[in-house]
Amino acid sequence: MSFSPIDFPVKVDLNACIADKGCTVCIDACPLDVLVIDPTTGKAGMKYDECWYCLPCEKDCPTQAIRVDIPYLLR
Amino acid sequence: MQTINNEDLVLTSEEIETDVLVIGGGTAGPMAAIKAKQQDPSLRVLLLEKANVKRSGAISMGMDGLNNAVIPGYATPEQYVKEITVANDGIVNQKTLFAYAENSYAMIEELDSWGVKFEKDENGDYAVKKVHHMGTYVLPMPEGHDIKKVLYRKLKQTRVNVTNRLVATRVLIADDGRVAGALAFDCRSGVYTVIRAKAVILCTGAASRLGLPASGYLFGTYENPTNAGDGYSMAYHAGAELSGIECFQINPLIKDYNGPACAYVTGPMGGYTANAQGERFIESDYWSGQMMQEFHQELAGGKGPVFLKVDHLAEETISNIETILHSNERPSRGRFHQGRGTDYRADMIEMHISEIGLCSGHSASGVWVNEHAETTVPGLYAAGDLACVPHNYMLGAFVYGRLAGESAASYCANNELAVVDTKQVEAERQRIFAPLARKHGLSPTQVEYKLRRLVNDYLQPPKVARRMEIGLVRFEEIRADLQQMVASNPHELMRAAEVGFILDCAEMAAKASLFRTESRWGLYHARQDYSERNDAEWAVHVQVQKDQSGDMSVFKRALEPYIVEPDDVEKAVYQQIRIQPKGAVVSSGVSHEL
Amino acid sequence: MELESILRSRLADPDPVVRRIALIELVDETDPDTAEPFLISALQDANKAVRIEAAQALEAQDTPEAISGLLKALEDTEPTVREVAAQSLSANKNPEVGALLLEWTVHTDSDVRVAIFRALRELRLTAATVPALKALVDQDARVRREAVGVLGWLKDVTTLSQLVNLAKTDPDTEVRRAAVGALGFAADDTVRIAVDSALFDVDWQVREEAATVAGKLGLDSLVASLIRALEDSYWQVRLKAARSLGRLKNNHAVPALCEVLQHPISNLRKEAALALGEIADPAALSYLEITIKDPDPDVRKAANLAVSRINLVRNK
Repeated sequence: MSFSPIDFPVKVDLNACIADKGCTVCIDACPLDVLVIDPTTGKAGMKYDECWYCLPCEKDCPTQAIRVDIPYLLR
Repeated sequence: MQTINNEDLVLTSEEIETDVLVIGGGTAGPMAAIKAKQQDPSLRVLLLEKANVKRSGAISMGMDGLNNAVIPGYATPEQYVKEITVANDGIVNQKTLFAYAENSYAMIEELDSWGVKFEKDENGDYAVKKVHHMGTYVLPMPEGHDIKKVLYRKLKQTRVNVTNRLVATRVLIADDGRVAGALAFDCRSGVYTVIRAKAVILCTGAASRLGLPASGYLFGTYENPTNAGDGYSMAYHAGAELSGIECFQINPLIKDYNGPACAYVTGPMGGYTANAQGERFIESDYWSGQMMQEFHQELAGGKGPVFLKVDHLAEETISNIETILHSNERPSRGRFHQGRGTDYRADMIEMHISEIGLCSGHSASGVWVNEHAETTVPGLYAAGDLACVPHNYMLGAFVYGRLAGESAASYCANNELAVVDTKQVEAERQRIFAPLARKHGLSPTQVEYKLRRLVNDYLQPPKVARRMEIGLVRFEEIRADLQQMVASNPHELMRAAEVGFILDCAEMAAKASLFRTESRWGLYHARQDYSERNDAEWAVHVQVQKDQSGDMSVFKRALEPYIVEPDDVEKAVYQQIRIQPKGAVVSSGVSHEL
Repeated sequence: MELESILRSRLADPDPVVRRIALIELVDETDPDTAEPFLISALQDANKAVRIEAAQALEAQDTPEAISGLLKALEDTEPTVREVAAQSLSANKNPEVGALLLEWTVHTDSDVRVAIFRALRELRLTAATVPALKALVDQDARVRREAVGVLGWLKDVTTLSQLVNLAKTDPDTEVRRAAVGALGFAADDTVRIAVDSALFDVDWQVREEAATVAGKLGLDSLVASLIRALEDSYWQVRLKAARSLGRLKNNHAVPALCEVLQHPISNLRKEAALALGEIADPAALSYLEITIKDPDPDVRKAANLAVSRINLVRNK
């Protein structure tokens, strides 16, 4: 992820993500507002390491582009 | 976001006018908004949400069952009220419990008609399960993952106005003491928003980010971490009474994952909480402070760790449990177990005692409300985990959401918009946006981490006065640190504002706990220096309120006379199923007779 | 209105991804009535992902137009579209559009028939009785199972004989289980006999359901069979049998339940103790006094409660 070289819980498959065509489903769904559009790729990505591993982003993604891992500190 | 000029932001603002403002779009909030609009369709009803209504709050991924359903033929309101009176060690306003119990079934029926799925048998009758020994209150929801979708649809159909990503920070109060609206800012654009309203309903959920999870992950909390205690703080600063804050929420959770193991899902299927020998040890009948006390004793007594045990069940049952637990409420549970190589078939699931939080849905700490969901401030209402109606859970949030919505709609019929005090508006603007203007200082994340670590150090039960007094001193130091926080964008500004909410909750928790010089509610308020329950002096509510001079006052509020009192035989029955004193087995070595 | 025209042009975009995103936004940003016609026409979109999105968004939209659109989607070439449409139809709670569904109960595709009966269940339409009865002999067990659901929810005594027959003879376990469950609204002789024999079904799921239904209907004459079920090879069945014996409050069950107080599975001991408390026969007291010292606290609690109840009843 271009925001950070650190391994964040929310992983986005850039090939599947359609945020560059206007989709904001995951960004809307996140209760903690940690997802944004990465200006360099136009795709969704995790900007803030503040994840509740609650999964709406993954569940609602229209193209199944998201996978949420349990945050490292909890694993 | 990169183009925002922080100095410009401080100056821009928007004004919205509405009749009913509902703050918080999780569980109680959407219900309140829908009910206000249904009662009077001519009203302007605005539902304000910090996240997005579609997926916000405690039930963002649904719920796997009701554990307090009062359904005719299985339980009566009287029976329910008696049981909760006992479960909450007598500190209840029974009128509020009755208001829940009597409206519980109608709410289930209404939710069912909206499309929320409850378990039914082959005749379409509710498949109510017996879990507690006395009443029968559990109604599973194996397909309960779509509740938010159903609520959202209903909001749309009812034409409620919704606004997302607005962080409310203060309730506006007019000179005559009435509610005048609320102040908020957009956590993306940073725009400051003044919302004028005749009535405000707080539905902001639990104070989730109070204690620090053992994992050290700030957002690895039991309740949705979006809920930082916003409403507790807002109600306090609005001058409302809060109650039972010393009755903390502490939960038996899956260790590190910090999510529920859902005993009321596994219980009817034969699962249970066990010690290291695989033996059951819990005497109490509820997810209560009593149970947490026993949990604590078992850990301290050398029989720990404590586990959820389902490995003795049939394959069909286990896979059924997995399907429910891994698709509802906290579906990432399955992923967590997989990562650890834990298989329900072969392994017990390690549990632990959570950090503290405030949540009336599970315990009793909240904004004081009567049976109409009215707070002590005219025009201000509260419902859900935030409102003090003990052990109210999800269904209680819906019922009180309804009551709050209807009460607020009635209030609007007789009241005009109150005058907005521009001094309040400007003072709050300065307070909220200060971190954006600072060029150098403390990171909100670090201040939050330190504050919550102090909460663990000084407030995690068992409690003792000296520790809490030190805690209060340290919290004051954090209060000074708030003036040093720096934020570089509206998102960080939101986190900075939340530290203020958390700090208010921590201070209330310490002061209320110091005030009640006895032990009650098992581990929730286990005082090492006052280890006995003292009904002669403490069969009262403990209230917290901001006084005229702006200081935090703590005082007693007498119990309302009971409407139903368990008779002697019933009391004896209740007593027999409650915890038997086990003597001195608390980690400190101090005797606890509870 | 401006928003609508923007969305309208994006809904006609040559790129299906754009059309799909526009649909999502349409549902989010407008009210259901505004969105509906767009969603219905999107069910005919050339792209399957767009059709899926539309079918999903029409969930619980209960106008005749929406229902007709979803019904047609049950014949979509794409299996996922069909599944989603079926799911959306089953969320419909408006009986007034039920007539539209009835025509489809004899569809040649058994998946469609399953979906239709599933959707009819919630509506509790009297007019669904005959089609559901006919479907009880459907070749596809899933259709029979859903038809049983429709009849069970309708609670029509004239359908009892067919349900009884199915409970005894259907080759499929789940159909038999559902049929036994569906009998739980009328306690007549045929039902009593059917539930009795279901307690001895070859499959434990059917026996478990029968044990539950016996308690729900208060079938006192099945006490002997329920007592035998206390020795079932599956503890799930034993548990439900104990639970139902408690609900029946019949003294004859006391000795057998007292024996269960010795069973190695603690959940069973607990259920037996609770049942003995409900029956409240003093004859159980001496056994319960021993169980009060059970190693399992849940069992002890249940035994304590039972003893209190028995004393309470005795003193009244």
